[in-house]
Amino acid sequence: MNLPVPAGLDTTGYRLGPPQRAGALTMVPVFGPAYPGVAPPRSGLKLSRVVTYGQVELTNPATTGVAIVPLHVGYIQDSAQNHALCRSGFIAAGQTLRFDDACCVQESQGGYLAERDQWFFVLPVELRPAALRLRGTSQYSKLWGDIASFNARHGLPARGHLEQVLTRKRAVLTQYQSRLELLDGQLGALFFVGDRLAGVEIAPDPVYFAELWMALVCFAYGPAAWFAETGAPEEAVEAFEADSLDGVRAALRQRRRRVADEVEEWLARAAWQPGDLVEEERYLDLRLSTVVAETVGGQVVTDGSRLVYASLFAAAG
Amino acid sequence: MTVQFVRHLQRHDTALRVPRAGAVVWDDEAVHAEAYAADPQRFALTALTPGVLAPQRARMLLQLLLASRAGTPDTVRDTLARVTRVLALGLAPADVLTVLLAVRRRRANHKHVTRTVLTVLLEHPHAAELVRARRGIAQDCFEHALGRATARGVLSRGALPRGAFLGDAWSRGVPALYRHREGTALVPLPPAAGDLDLTSARPETVTATNRGDLAATLVHLRRGGPSDELLPAVARYTDEVVAGLPRYDGTVALVLDDSASMRGYGERAWAVASQVAALRRVLDRVCARLVVVPVGGVNGRPGGATDLATGVLDALATGPDVVAVASDGYENVHPGDLARVTATLPRAGVHTPVVFCQATFGRADDLTLRRPAPLLPQRAFWHSDDLAPLVLWLLSHVDGAAADAWIGAELRRRLALVESSLAASAAAAVPAGSAGSAASAGSALEGGSR
Repeated sequence: MNLPVPAGLDTTGYRLGPPQRAGALTMVPVFGPAYPGVAPPRSGLKLSRVVTYGQVELTNPATTGVAIVPLHVGYIQDSAQNHALCRSGFIAAGQTLRFDDACCVQESQGGYLAERDQWFFVLPVELRPAALRLRGTSQYSKLWGDIASFNARHGLPARGHLEQVLTRKRAVLTQYQSRLELLDGQLGALFFVGDRLAGVEIAPDPVYFAELWMALVCFAYGPAAWFAETGAPEEAVEAFEADSLDGVRAALRQRRRRVADEVEEWLARAAWQPGDLVEEERYLDLRLSTVVAETVGGQVVTDGSRLVYASLFAAAG
Repeated sequence: MTVQFVRHLQRHDTALRVPRAGAVVWDDEAVHAEAYAADPQRFALTALTPGVLAPQRARMLLQLLLASRAGTPDTVRDTLARVTRVLALGLAPADVLTVLLAVRRRRANHKHVTRTVLTVLLEHPHAAELVRARRGIAQDCFEHALGRATARGVLSRGALPRGAFLGDAWSRGVPALYRHREGTALVPLPPAAGDLDLTSARPETVTATNRGDLAATLVHLRRGGPSDELLPAVARYTDEVVAGLPRYDGTVALVLDDSASMRGYGERAWAVASQVAALRRVLDRVCARLVVVPVGGVNGRPGGATDLATGVLDALATGPDVVAVASDGYENVHPGDLARVTATLPRAGVHTPVVFCQATFGRADDLTLRRPAPLLPQRAFWHSDDLAPLVLWLLSHVDGAAADAWIGAELRRRLALVESSLAASAAAAVPAGSAGSAASAGSALEGGSR
């Protein structure tokens, strides 16, 4: 299987691991060469304050290492208006950066996020195309309509409150980080919801990916999978045709092969054509670029042709 | 006792019923009768296997009461009497009264029935509350045990019948059976006098380190605590868990989930992994041979995906008596594979039992998404005090002489523990006759309405 990333990017050394499955969510782990010197998102990136609705300040408190802000990261705190970012960005060590195009994701909640007791998420994949489209737009309520539609599609009150899913369904969603397991050395993943490629996430190194893992698996891809599997009939479990222990083992191997082939077929069928990269930011040799194509959207960070970070998702949500 | 019967006791949960008119509704009577006939003593002891459902324990008490003990060797008779007594006192009074009514309906008049009825009505630590709550039924059972004429005659004369053995309890308790109670308010039945599963006191709020000493110490070790201090404590706490447990002269294979999710996160980090590690230590001490088949694990810590199906196949290849899968229940390579493999085993000619030991953080874990093979026998555990019952439960799925001997010895040990526990409860309880006095007994005699 090849990584579905924009043409021209060097993916030498990257390889895909055996798929894992939890209900409607299939995760294919990605292993590859680490790109050193990037601050990870939990320990190396802090939300310092919300200046006003729609304006979020992030800080990289480290003394060395640039931070790559995860695409569509959001912060949640009790008694404060939860915010998400519409784009990625670079923050040099010791630097604070204000994002004027952040969006509120909790329509009628007052209060500003502060540094205390915060946890972060990544926007659900169904909202990410709209969020990417709205980067650069300074209007804090810009995503409320999409959030309301997202909620309504899943039988929830049609309001611009993302916390209806992220917080109230948290007990179910957080189980995805146990239902699917992060592997040693893993620095990325392909996520499939049902048989559809929903996203490709590549981090600079395994530590960065480990810190982003929960936000991705539980909140970016978990909701779509959870809604897909809720009410769906359970897959019937049938015994193998085997008349010995060796026969059972062979049948199990065969089934594993079938699952891997099936996932490979899904990936081939996805036929993502990420198209050209549009550069948006630079930090020394690093380039942050946006991908906007018919089937896929997202942002990538490159160093020359070398892939450093990618967060790509199905454009149809 | 057959493995099938033990499984039946842990799964078949319909209630035993005694309708106002008609026969006792006991849908699996033949199963119990057959098991009793095969080995009355083991039948009785099996009631103390942890996890046997309350309706099944009630049936076992009924079976013990209905069967004649004529010609039974003294040692067996002694065991039957002891188990009958602990069931009569340790089951919920509602279940016990149903059993006594069923005995009456079946017109069983053995001496052990009489003794059991009197034990329940006069000797139960909460006998007074029991009689207040169900006086009519209690009267009926009492008169069935002694005979109506004898019961009422004895009461009116205020004298003990020949052979009466309960002394003060008799003189306090019998009049209460016939005393009119003022008011119509429903009086709830008291609780059981003891816990037949010997469940220890558990914390209201569960944390990673209040789930038993052994698991707590293993959590501290995993967190990086000083091993020179903690390792001796682990050995000491393991000794405490296995104290008194018989040695199993057989082979157990433990499929030990050491995948990434077993680490847990946040305040629960290491809680589940430590409990599974504790189970491994206990099995290692109890079993002559323990084969550990790890699933996942990277450099001595949890890591990797959860492929329980391959783990079970690897375990079976070692020829164990039983395969115990100890896991948090998150199977992702691939969901359903464990169920498929274990469903295939019988047709592949493999009859080694496979059981699922579900490691949880506490009593309230949501297991909806954590049942990888719902048809496998499964039992949750989260406290160090769950480990000894868990070993008994998993070995109760094994056929064979070694398991049979181990289970017999362990059930006898538990019988003694239950008896001690019931005696302690009785000593701590308010005297059974405190609600009434013998002085008013004669004038309070009335009919046995229900």
